[in-house]
Amino acid sequence: MEYGIKPAAIAGCFVLVASLCTFPLQRVIAYPFVFLFYAAIVGSAWYGGAIAGIVAVALSSIVIAYFFVPPLFSISVAKESQSFFAAFVVCAIAISIVSSARKRAENVFRNARDQLEAKVQERTAELQRSNQEIKESERQLRMLTEAIPQQIWRADASGRIEYCNQHLRDYIGKSADSLQSEIFFSILHSEDAPLFRQGWEAALMVGGKFEAEARVQGADGLYRWFLIRSIPQRSDDGQIARWYGIHIDIEERHRAQQKLILAQDELTRLSRTLSIAETAASIAHELNQPMTAVVTHAYACREWLRGDPANLEKASATAEKIVQESTRASAVVKRVRALFRNEARVRESTDMNRLIQELSGLLRDEAIRRGVSIRLALARELPRLEMDTVQIQQVLLNLAMNSMDAMMQNLGPREITIRSEKLKESEILVTVADKGSGIAPDIVDRIFEPFFSTKTRGMGMGLAICRSIIESHDGRLWAVNSPDGGAIFQFTVRVSHE
Amino acid sequence: MSEILDAEVRERVFIVDDDASICDGLCNLLDAVGIDAESYTSAEAFCEGWRDGSAGCLLLDARLPGISGVEFQEQMQASGIHIPVIFMTAHGDMPMVRRVMKAGAVEFLIKPFQKEELLRAIEQAFAYDRARRKEDSIRNSIRARIDSLTDREREVMVMVTAGMLNKQIAANLNLSEITVKLHRRHVMDRMQASSLAELVKMCERFKAPARIHR
Repeated sequence: MEYGIKPAAIAGCFVLVASLCTFPLQRVIAYPFVFLFYAAIVGSAWYGGAIAGIVAVALSSIVIAYFFVPPLFSISVAKESQSFFAAFVVCAIAISIVSSARKRAENVFRNARDQLEAKVQERTAELQRSNQEIKESERQLRMLTEAIPQQIWRADASGRIEYCNQHLRDYIGKSADSLQSEIFFSILHSEDAPLFRQGWEAALMVGGKFEAEARVQGADGLYRWFLIRSIPQRSDDGQIARWYGIHIDIEERHRAQQKLILAQDELTRLSRTLSIAETAASIAHELNQPMTAVVTHAYACREWLRGDPANLEKASATAEKIVQESTRASAVVKRVRALFRNEARVRESTDMNRLIQELSGLLRDEAIRRGVSIRLALARELPRLEMDTVQIQQVLLNLAMNSMDAMMQNLGPREITIRSEKLKESEILVTVADKGSGIAPDIVDRIFEPFFSTKTRGMGMGLAICRSIIESHDGRLWAVNSPDGGAIFQFTVRVSHE
Repeated sequence: MSEILDAEVRERVFIVDDDASICDGLCNLLDAVGIDAESYTSAEAFCEGWRDGSAGCLLLDARLPGISGVEFQEQMQASGIHIPVIFMTAHGDMPMVRRVMKAGAVEFLIKPFQKEELLRAIEQAFAYDRARRKEDSIRNSIRARIDSLTDREREVMVMVTAGMLNKQIAANLNLSEITVKLHRRHVMDRMQASSLAELVKMCERFKAPARIHR
């Protein structure tokens, strides 16, 4: 409820207006004041409250008593008008009270409505805010799934694709819409699809994780290998609600694996055939070289003799060359025979460098075929030592072949270095170094043991025999890993002091 | 022209084989039949010893350590050594023969080979080389003549050889017909062409891609 000037002013205004209207109307209608003053009281009580109503009643009573109730222009009320005036005052008070009460009730009602409305607005704003937050976090999540450099999808419980991220869409070259309806299997390679479907159906039944490798067709029509991993998401009642899947591109890995398998096959094939066919080819080549030289020199010799006059000097020099080359050819034959006969041989004073050169000649063809280059670093002057040339060559051949095997999987340079060095007046050090992967530390002590082999088809006798040969030459054979990769095999040969 | 050719460069056989005794034998044989020869035991040594303008042919071992004969042949072509190649190998495997013949080898000899085979191959290779050098020198001299023309004369020559009439050329180049005739006479003089047909032939020859006539 309000107090002060405002209710009084409202009441004054209403009563003033009522009075001003009543004056002219008075001439037309007898006692019209009753209605207009009632209206003024109702209005005051409505707009100004109970106080304004009371003030209006008071003011109206005064104005009416003064102006309209005889005696006119006096506060006093004539006797015959007293009952009428009293009825007016009572009615006026009653409607003032009723009007202000109605007003209050309506105010209360309006307040309640306003409060309700404010609350609703507040709630709505809150809802909008949280909606926005949800949207924002969803946007960020989507951005994350789009930005992850992997292919991601989501499927419903029956395995129907619901969502694919940008990477997956780009890879398979289909729009999100066309994928929605498409069953996932259509993008798989026809050979992988049945197996994949089996696994997938099993996963659907069991409801467990699913993992498979399959070829997936890209936009360019080519297939690449992918590791496809999927996990189910369960709803509160334990039922599978969704599947989330990721595709990991394993094409490179797959290729490397295939290559490795091929290389291993090749290696196996090589080691099987090398002993017969390749050795034969090597020998044929080794023999063919001096034979070619002999034939060429022989033709030359004939030409020198045919001249007019015959160039005897040149002819004789050429004949000498023919002898040399023929001897070289027959030495090859002898050596090959000795290699195969394995007879006990006497030791003879031998030049180690010559043995190494002969060996590299024997291996030349095989090395070229395997893309291996053989580098010789031979000491200028080596003492000639008493040794079994066939046996020492067997050692050299064995070490060189091992080195080549060790580099079969090298992508980088494949190089074998055979080095000879003079240690003392009667001791020679020979090194065979490769650029392979070296010897695994856990087997470095065992490689010389008989029947120890890292090769699938190896007997494990090669290095054991080598060591016994070297030891019979008063030398040592050992292996170390090179600091810059690759294995180094070294042996020494000495003159025995009997 | 061919007299100059023969007088200035001596044809020789360049032998590349990693087996020194084969080199020695071949040098000896070629010496005996009066053909100049030089031998190298590696592809690198041959490249280092190569002098521009050398003539003759290359007798190349198909299997060299470090580089295959075919690779070397391609490398030579890339580095501007245009010389006919005769391959030698101990293994006459057909894929390799096909490959080297495709790459432009003159002949393929299987060691050990007969003297006649070798000499026939060398003779053939020399003939290819001569044809190549002759073609080169003709093209060079045509080029020199074309270089001696002024820009305007060259324009006129192009139009003349394209079959345009003096009148058309004059209109095209905004010249008087008399001036065109004058240019045309200069072109014929400087190109040493006795007829229009000869001039056309020269231009065609100059435009044609270089090739060895086989």
